Amino acid sequence: MIVVKPGHRLRALIVAGSVWFGAAAAQAQSPGVTATEITIGALGPLTGATSFMGVPGRDGMQLAVDEINQAGGINGRKLKLDFEHAFTPAESVAAAKKLVEDDNVFVLVLASGSTGAAAAADYVREKGVPTYNLYGATPIIRTPFAENVFHGAMPSATDSAQALVDRVFQANPKAKKVGLLVGTYAFPQANKGAVLPLLQKKPVDVVVEEFDQGARDFTSQLLAFTREKVDAVIVMGSFSEAGFAIKQAPEKGLTNVVWVLDGSAVNDAVVPILGDKNPPNVWGYSNTPYFPAQSVAATSKFRELWTHRYGQPPQGRPNIYDLVAYGDTYVLAAAIKNAGNDLSWKTLIASWSKLKDVKPSDLGGLDVVYPESFTETDHQGNRLMGRATIKDGIWQVVPN
Amino acid sequence: MAELLMTIVGGIKIGAIYALAAIGLVVIHKATKTVNFAHGGLVMLGAFATYEMVVVFEWPYWMAYIAVPVLIGALGALLEFVVLKPLRRADLFTVIIGTIFLGTALSEAYRLAENSELLAVPALFTGPPLLIDVGSDVVIFTREQIWVTLGALAVGTAGVAIFRYSSLGRSMRAMASNSRGAQLCGYSVEGVYGIAWFLGSALAGLAGVFAAPSKGVSPDLAVSIVASAFVAAVIGGFDSLGGAIVGGLLLGCVETLSAAYVSSSLSMAISYFLLFCVLLVRPEGLFPEAKRRHV
Amino acid sequence: MSGTRVFGLLALPIGLPALFILAGCLADDYWRYVLCLTVSAVVVGAGLTMLVSFARCITLATGAFQALGAYGAVLLMINLSLPFPLAVVAGGCAGALGGLFLAVPAVRFRSHNLAMVTLVFQSIVIIALRELKGLTGGAEGLSVPAATILGVAIRSDLANLVMACVFSALILIPLMILLQGPFGRNLRALAVNEVGARAFGIRIEHYLIAAFVISSAAIAMAAAIVAPRLRIIDPDSFGLYSSILTLAYPIVGGLGSVWGGAVGGAVLRILPEVLRPIAGYIELILSTVVLLTMLCFRGGLSEMVSRLWPARSEPARSSRGSDAVVVSALPHLVQPHDHSAVEALVTDKLVKRYDALTAVDGVNLKVRAGALHGIMGPNGAGKTTLFNTVSGFIRPDAGQIRLFGTDVTSDRIEQRIGLGVTRTFQNLAIFPSLSCRQNVIIGFGRNSIGAALGRSAGWALNTKTSREEAERADWALDAVGLAHVMDLPAGKLSLGDQRRLEIARAVVSQPRLILLDEPVSGVSQQEVEQLLVLLKAINRDLGATMLVVEHNIGFLVSLCDTLSVMASGRIIAEGVPAEVVARRDVLRTYFGETDEAA
Repeated sequence: MIVVKPGHRLRALIVAGSVWFGAAAAQAQSPGVTATEITIGALGPLTGATSFMGVPGRDGMQLAVDEINQAGGINGRKLKLDFEHAFTPAESVAAAKKLVEDDNVFVLVLASGSTGAAAAADYVREKGVPTYNLYGATPIIRTPFAENVFHGAMPSATDSAQALVDRVFQANPKAKKVGLLVGTYAFPQANKGAVLPLLQKKPVDVVVEEFDQGARDFTSQLLAFTREKVDAVIVMGSFSEAGFAIKQAPEKGLTNVVWVLDGSAVNDAVVPILGDKNPPNVWGYSNTPYFPAQSVAATSKFRELWTHRYGQPPQGRPNIYDLVAYGDTYVLAAAIKNAGNDLSWKTLIASWSKLKDVKPSDLGGLDVVYPESFTETDHQGNRLMGRATIKDGIWQVVPN
Repeated sequence: MAELLMTIVGGIKIGAIYALAAIGLVVIHKATKTVNFAHGGLVMLGAFATYEMVVVFEWPYWMAYIAVPVLIGALGALLEFVVLKPLRRADLFTVIIGTIFLGTALSEAYRLAENSELLAVPALFTGPPLLIDVGSDVVIFTREQIWVTLGALAVGTAGVAIFRYSSLGRSMRAMASNSRGAQLCGYSVEGVYGIAWFLGSALAGLAGVFAAPSKGVSPDLAVSIVASAFVAAVIGGFDSLGGAIVGGLLLGCVETLSAAYVSSSLSMAISYFLLFCVLLVRPEGLFPEAKRRHV
Repeated sequence: MSGTRVFGLLALPIGLPALFILAGCLADDYWRYVLCLTVSAVVVGAGLTMLVSFARCITLATGAFQALGAYGAVLLMINLSLPFPLAVVAGGCAGALGGLFLAVPAVRFRSHNLAMVTLVFQSIVIIALRELKGLTGGAEGLSVPAATILGVAIRSDLANLVMACVFSALILIPLMILLQGPFGRNLRALAVNEVGARAFGIRIEHYLIAAFVISSAAIAMAAAIVAPRLRIIDPDSFGLYSSILTLAYPIVGGLGSVWGGAVGGAVLRILPEVLRPIAGYIELILSTVVLLTMLCFRGGLSEMVSRLWPARSEPARSSRGSDAVVVSALPHLVQPHDHSAVEALVTDKLVKRYDALTAVDGVNLKVRAGALHGIMGPNGAGKTTLFNTVSGFIRPDAGQIRLFGTDVTSDRIEQRIGLGVTRTFQNLAIFPSLSCRQNVIIGFGRNSIGAALGRSAGWALNTKTSREEAERADWALDAVGLAHVMDLPAGKLSLGDQRRLEIARAVVSQPRLILLDEPVSGVSQQEVEQLLVLLKAINRDLGATMLVVEHNIGFLVSLCDTLSVMASGRIIAEGVPAEVVARRDVLRTYFGETDEAA
């Protein structure tokens, strides 16, 4: 009966043992850095409800890493990306520990949503590993301020909430009643918490309706909005939920309203759901100067690069998370470059905190993100947000 | 008033899809005593096949209505033969666990193969909605709503008729009530199981075709449909085809009505609570099949 | 035996956590963290072994119970500053309460309806946690403070691992005792044969409720233990997916094994970490592994491993020369019943109808204490219905049944054994996965929930009572000639031997009345004679009254003191066997309709 365990024991011991010695050997120099290579660790959801962030996160980073390496690397060292799947909080902590303790990465990139980033927050603070938070809007990763945690193209939940509210009044300055259509799951709830106080400061009434993750039928919610005669609806959820809601709205008598979509719903895959290439009055914000499908030199080249590397993209890809992951990898590369040859967590954090208006093109990349700047007390790289709408079947950034 | 009507109409439409999925579940259970938790996976694949035919290959829509059920029916019969046949002698416990994991395997395989969060499928009818005056208000019907509701219910009724009145249906019922006896009467187990799975899965495939425009194609379609179809079937008595239809419509209406008049975030909880009450008060469902004589 | 039992009991609860601590000392923080989650999965798996493997209940509510435990413990830590160990216990109580709440209505369902009810519970718990935002933090989750024990905060991964291992051991020890002891055996017994279990006093609903409560408590505590290490708990982490994933633990680990769930939990929790390079495929791999296990390796990992292990010398198979069937040399434990003038069985105008058919039509039957009474009659005469009303399986429509003077007409089946009444089954109701000795021990009938829990503790401590039970079971097996197969699973015996086993099980409690339902049907002529001798010896030496329903008239005539003949639901003749069978009306009724007399 003990038999059950020997194989298992043995494996655990072997794994444990090799890890122990591996770790001891690597401690001799700065973790994740050899004469020829720098290892970047990243984690994010490759499956599950938020895989629309994690998968593009991995793909976008890999594109940038490949490009940088082709151009000769950074100060003679090549970059290596080590991406771990992590969906739940438990998996995020496990992945962060594996990357830092086991794989000895030099930098940790969080390409996960808010709960993943929040779960890893304590650990990275304790450990002091330089950390780049790509998508997490949650305040838990931002406060209290940690000198080793940096935030890229995606602003905090408060900033993006402000952008959502602004979009409502840009489209209809006379809006008196605003509907909130909110998913019952984690990130829409977090964003709802940020939007509600901002709306309450305005002279408007708010009608809140909720829906379950993956909802496809919004009959009751839309009828409620119709009954309340809302002027605008802010949708917090995924593009598919937003898409079906907007599509069904006229069937439920809800016409002539302003639709404002949260960042996570601003995705070209919403267009086939709507079945309309120029839906009126659908707005959103953008964390990047252009959307992936816009025909601008930078994004055209980006799509070319993407297709060359990964083949024909599925509906809705590359999305804005591809752009952010790619662009922010260049920002990270710039920080590493400026830290010089003598790489350590300390030198990296120091050089990172001094970056000013750094763009991917500084290192030969495509400028698909806004320039980012950091100081020793402000680690939010970007605060700009464009105004976005659907034109000719794609999301486009339009002048404010 | 108009709002209530529109809520109910919306509920009936999703209910019709649940009903269609539930009928397939019941057909398979009636004939083979297999509780098929993988049914949602088959509906999802039906929706996916619709996407491939209508959007990728740009076939006319009616072809999807013919080809998808055949395709999914064949797949269902194949799955029965490969995966469930070895479990035929096992108890219900084993079979249920088997189909639960078969279902997850189907949706995971789809997710890995397609790697996209959602595929949108256009509706068959896209014309302007029909407006009907009700007092001072206007009730809006879309053509798609009418088509899905009536189409799904018609197919469901046809499925019921096949099971009840054709010789095919007789063989399945015979096999279910007494498999030894049915074999002695010349029905082959393989044949009847194959046909039952084909028919049940074909209904799942059709549910997928009907559901595709309003639900899109995504891996989680499998779980959401199978849960709803089960609730519908259990409410209806699990062995009653007519009960499955009523159960589906009831569930659809309860979902939308509770979202409209109680709380949109609690509608799931409320419909599950309904199921719980039905099970407590009438464990045999609202429409139990005639009880077997107890000797 | 005692040595192997102690080893079997403690190897997993102490050995595995100790091993994890050892590995954790050698490993880095990542593996310490993983091992910490793994030891929790081991406990979850052991909890599911009780519910899924043993009670054969399909549960889709494991995630909900984990959530109840984790949220329960954490909320008490935050709001009442409860010390961590108390919070874990409170989390376990929350799980147990949830289990009770679910089980009381749920245990009347089996198979898919049970699965649906657990799914409903799962969904409602998760929705409740999500919507009670003020308390639980809603969908965004709840930050968990570090665990404190005696004022010391447990922060490092190693400290957390040690703490989790210690707590797990404390949960696993009682769990293993319950699983391996009489409670677990009774659970396995009722899962394969409800009828047989009920005849020996096992109340199915009570056991299933207990199984739900105990396993929920274990699962909840398993989640509470690791909650501080997760740093954030959110409803999503405990969703339906987690329930399905954990359902795989006992299956992959092996449904037939006490260790199955724990082993499955350990392997399936570590597997995704080992397979990180192909993380996207992990769900598909997992469901395929489960399907393959069910199709090809029903015994799961534990059976695969135990096959590799050199087999302990199995006792010789059933082919034996057990002609020595006489109940010889009755041990001191056994004292024959003293028969005062009481009637063992009296039925008074007993009636049982099925729709138009009156199967038992005003039967008045008297069986004197100490007698060997037979009932014969053609097919459809109502013998089996009469037998089943006497044994409690069918409730009569009218009339009265008295056993040793007590009116039992409306008593439950499970109460019969308390009166010293046991039975055997025509279609055999043995518990194939249990050993012969364990089958017989169930025959003592001390199977109410309370008694079974107490006996499990007694078994673990190897008390005198527990030893005596085993001794007497061995005696009973010896008496029926099955001494050589005591440790063999009952399912491996031949049909004739299974009949003997049923008799051993029926006599071990020294019953006053034994009801025998066609004891020689399907048995070879040689074995019929052996059984005849055996039954007579039992009647003589134990003083047990016997009521036998049988088609084999020759057997009845040689066995019985008195005989009743039934036809069309009535007793048409009664008396000394040889005289009764010679009566003309009996011959006409009997042989006029069938010719199956032997």
